[in-house]
This record gives sequence, structure tokens and C-alpha cells, in this order.
Amino acid sequence: MVVVTGIGLVAPHGDNPHAVFDAVMRAASAVQPVFPELSRPVAAAVAPFDAAHWFTKLQLPGVDRVSQIAVAAASLALRDAGALDAAPERVGVYTGCGMGGAAALEAAYAAGLRGGRVPPLTVPAFMPNAPAAHIAMRHGVLGPVLTYSVACASSAVALAEAARALRRGDIDVAIAGGTEALIVPGVVSAWQALQTLAAFKPGEAASACRPFASDRSGFVLGEGAAFVVLESAQRARHRGGRAYAELAGCGITNDATHLTKPDVQGQARALRAALADARLEPRDVGYCNAHGTATKIGDVVESEALNVVWGAAIDDLRVSSTKALHGHLLGAAGALEAAITVLALQRQQLPPNAHCAVPDPHCALNLVLEPGVHASNLQAAISSSFAFGGCNAVLAFKRV
Amino acid sequence: MGSLQHLQDIIREKYNIEPSALDPHQSMREQGLDSLAVAEFLFEVEDRLGLTLPDEHMQLDTLAGLAGLIDRMRDEQAA
Repeated sequence: MVVVTGIGLVAPHGDNPHAVFDAVMRAASAVQPVFPELSRPVAAAVAPFDAAHWFTKLQLPGVDRVSQIAVAAASLALRDAGALDAAPERVGVYTGCGMGGAAALEAAYAAGLRGGRVPPLTVPAFMPNAPAAHIAMRHGVLGPVLTYSVACASSAVALAEAARALRRGDIDVAIAGGTEALIVPGVVSAWQALQTLAAFKPGEAASACRPFASDRSGFVLGEGAAFVVLESAQRARHRGGRAYAELAGCGITNDATHLTKPDVQGQARALRAALADARLEPRDVGYCNAHGTATKIGDVVESEALNVVWGAAIDDLRVSSTKALHGHLLGAAGALEAAITVLALQRQQLPPNAHCAVPDPHCALNLVLEPGVHASNLQAAISSSFAFGGCNAVLAFKRV
Repeated sequence: MGSLQHLQDIIREKYNIEPSALDPHQSMREQGLDSLAVAEFLFEVEDRLGLTLPDEHMQLDTLAGLAGLIDRMRDEQAA
């Protein structure tokens, strides 16, 4: 039995997990307009972060923001978990990251295109496995230090792989999560060009992302890092650690149909696999933190997949996508949303599906439409992440 | 002004390291500036002083040695 014993966040709503959860419960949006110089208005959720709190100036060269926030979030998770007393060889780092050091890469392109010089540490700064390596160096982790780059499912996959390594007995402790920091003009423009980002009127950036709503028009990008400490329940008990929840099961599948278009069957297989792995029936699960990117097609496909698997039990499954409030953190999305799901279980509260004045009738789900909903007997919850490339990752958590 | 003080100013500004904390005659790498940091530092020095260090600068390991090289390059430019 694998449990979550530490949570560390550098999220759009801040770096205190309970304060982040409180903000989400209030339906406070962290989304705001960014880059007014771009030709089309764009909104994003940026994580407040002071690098000087975590790095000396001598440590910072060649460390992109994506690694800086990862080190901070992983350190906070370890601090939250308390003394682990683990052999360094028996600890692993499992990190999801979609893009790597976007700021370093963009700065290099900008300099190179101007005919200027490319900074000498560009390569170590942007390589996608740098964040995991920096976490390992900071904390002396000598076991597997791995990076999963599976687009929007990256960090859900990282948590799943970490849990499996623990179950196999490969390691005793896992630091698992994700990081993404690509709110830079070039990358944001590329997402805009893909026609996936939400349109919004001036002054309405905060509610631009409206999952499962009739008037949804896409997602907003988010930035941040989220890590959890995973270990066996027995180990946690023995050392006097506190368990937030059990990571009871995982399901990972691929659509093998289309690079970017989601697929009902692929998602349904991942949902079923996670339930089976966790020995849960659909009716046992009270809450789903949905992938819910608020794209026209994505939300309908996810609703259909949930309906296919839950059948008649679908009305008892409360659903929300918290991306409306913290944006889509891509490689860090699965980990942040897993942390929110874990806190929902622990606190017996259901995060709202914000900005959904009129739910889309094609999304037949029991959405959490009001903020501040309590769930007095929430025993199990799932968090879904569905990625470009066809990967579907579902994590199932149980109350402890 | 000799180049040494100029280099020490850059290091203080860039890394918050006081001149007294970095012995100019000892190895920079052994005093906390690893090979990545030194590469980045030399890049900045070239940018700020508007010169291109010869390839053998990578063998330079002390601040005093680097300052001596820069002094010689500037003398040659002036000559």
C-alpha cells in the first residue's frame, strides 16, 4: 500500500498546499492577462516564485526556471514529509516535464537570430531531465532519477511509475511530481497558433477557461511544479509520518488513433485499468478531478468516457476540472491535480468546476457547480490526465 | 585600473562573492566556481570587456591568471 506523505507546490495559487486548496475551494482564479505585446490577447496562470529563496547567485547560472521551481516544490514536499531516514540508494526521483527549459531555449533563439551569442549554458538549462537531476543533486538522491515527457500526462505517469517502483520494491521512497515553465512569448504564441487557447473579452481573463461549459473556448496555460513524497504505509507508520491518502491504483493506456484528438475508448480503458488496479468499483468513487481542458471536443470525449465506464453510477460521481482556476500546467498538471485530489479526500471537500454558468448538455456529468461543497463520506477519488500523443493516465486515491 | 579589480567587481555583482572570499591565486574551481559557472563567467567577461579570449583560456584556473591574460591582450590592442 503506497501512501502520500508529503506535498510540495510552487503553484499559481502559491506554495502552501492547504492555502492553494482553500483558494481553489473559493473558486479564486489565478489566471491573468500576459504579454500585452502579442497581437492576440492571451491569459495564463503564473506561479509566484522567488529564486533567491532557493538558490545563491552562484548556483543559478544554467538553471532554468523549470528546474528552479522543481527544486523548490520537491524540497517543500520533503520538508512536509518529515525525517525519512532512507538510504540514498533507495530513494528515486520521478519527474514529469513536457518541454524543459523554455525560457533558456527562447533566449538562445532570440540571441542567435539577432546574430548575437547564444549563452554557454543553454543546453544544460533546457534539457528536459535537468529538473530531476537538480532535485537529485539538492537532496543527494542516488537511486533512479527519471524524467517522463508525455505531454499533458507527464506527471501523472511519473506518479504512476513511482508507485509501481515502490510496489516492486525497487525503492523505499519516491519523490514524484512534475514541473513546467513555458510562459514565454514564443511558446505561448505557438499554443495560440494551435487554436487551443481560450478566447476572452478584455477584463475577463480570469474566467477565460470554462471547462464543461456551453460557452467554453479552450484552456489557458499555467506554470508551476508539484511534488509528492510516496512510500509504503508500513514505512510511514514506522517512522511516524503522516499519510494524506493512499495512491491505490494507476491506469495508463494509449489511443493509437490521432496525435492530438482524444479518444473515448482509450480514456475508458485507462479509467477501467485504474479502478481495477485500485480494486475499486465505479460506485466507490465519489470525485473525479477531470482532465477538463475546456476544449470543444476534449470535454465531450472525457464525459463520454466517464459515462461508458460508470454507467448508471455516473450520477453519484462528482466531477470538476480545476484547470479553470490554475490553468493547464501541462507536464505538471497531473501532479498538481493529484495533490488537489489528495487534499479533497483528506479534507472531505470537493473543488468546484468554476466558470460554468451553463453546463454543456453534451457533457452529461454531475459537476460540482458551487464553491465550498463538503463531501462527508468521500472514500475514493480519481485524477485524469489525457495527453497529446494519445497517452491516458488515471490515478486512483483512497482515503486513509 | 588593472583587470583583476574589474573581474572581482563582476564576480561580486554577479554572484554576491566578495573579493576577499575568492583568492585570485587559487583555483576558481576549487573555490566554488565549477566548470559550468566558470564557462558562464568567462562569457560574461568577454561581453562586458568587449574582447574574445583565446581558446587556451579554458586552461586558466585562477582569477589572477585570467586578469594577466586580459592585461596582455589590452596592451597588444593598444600597441
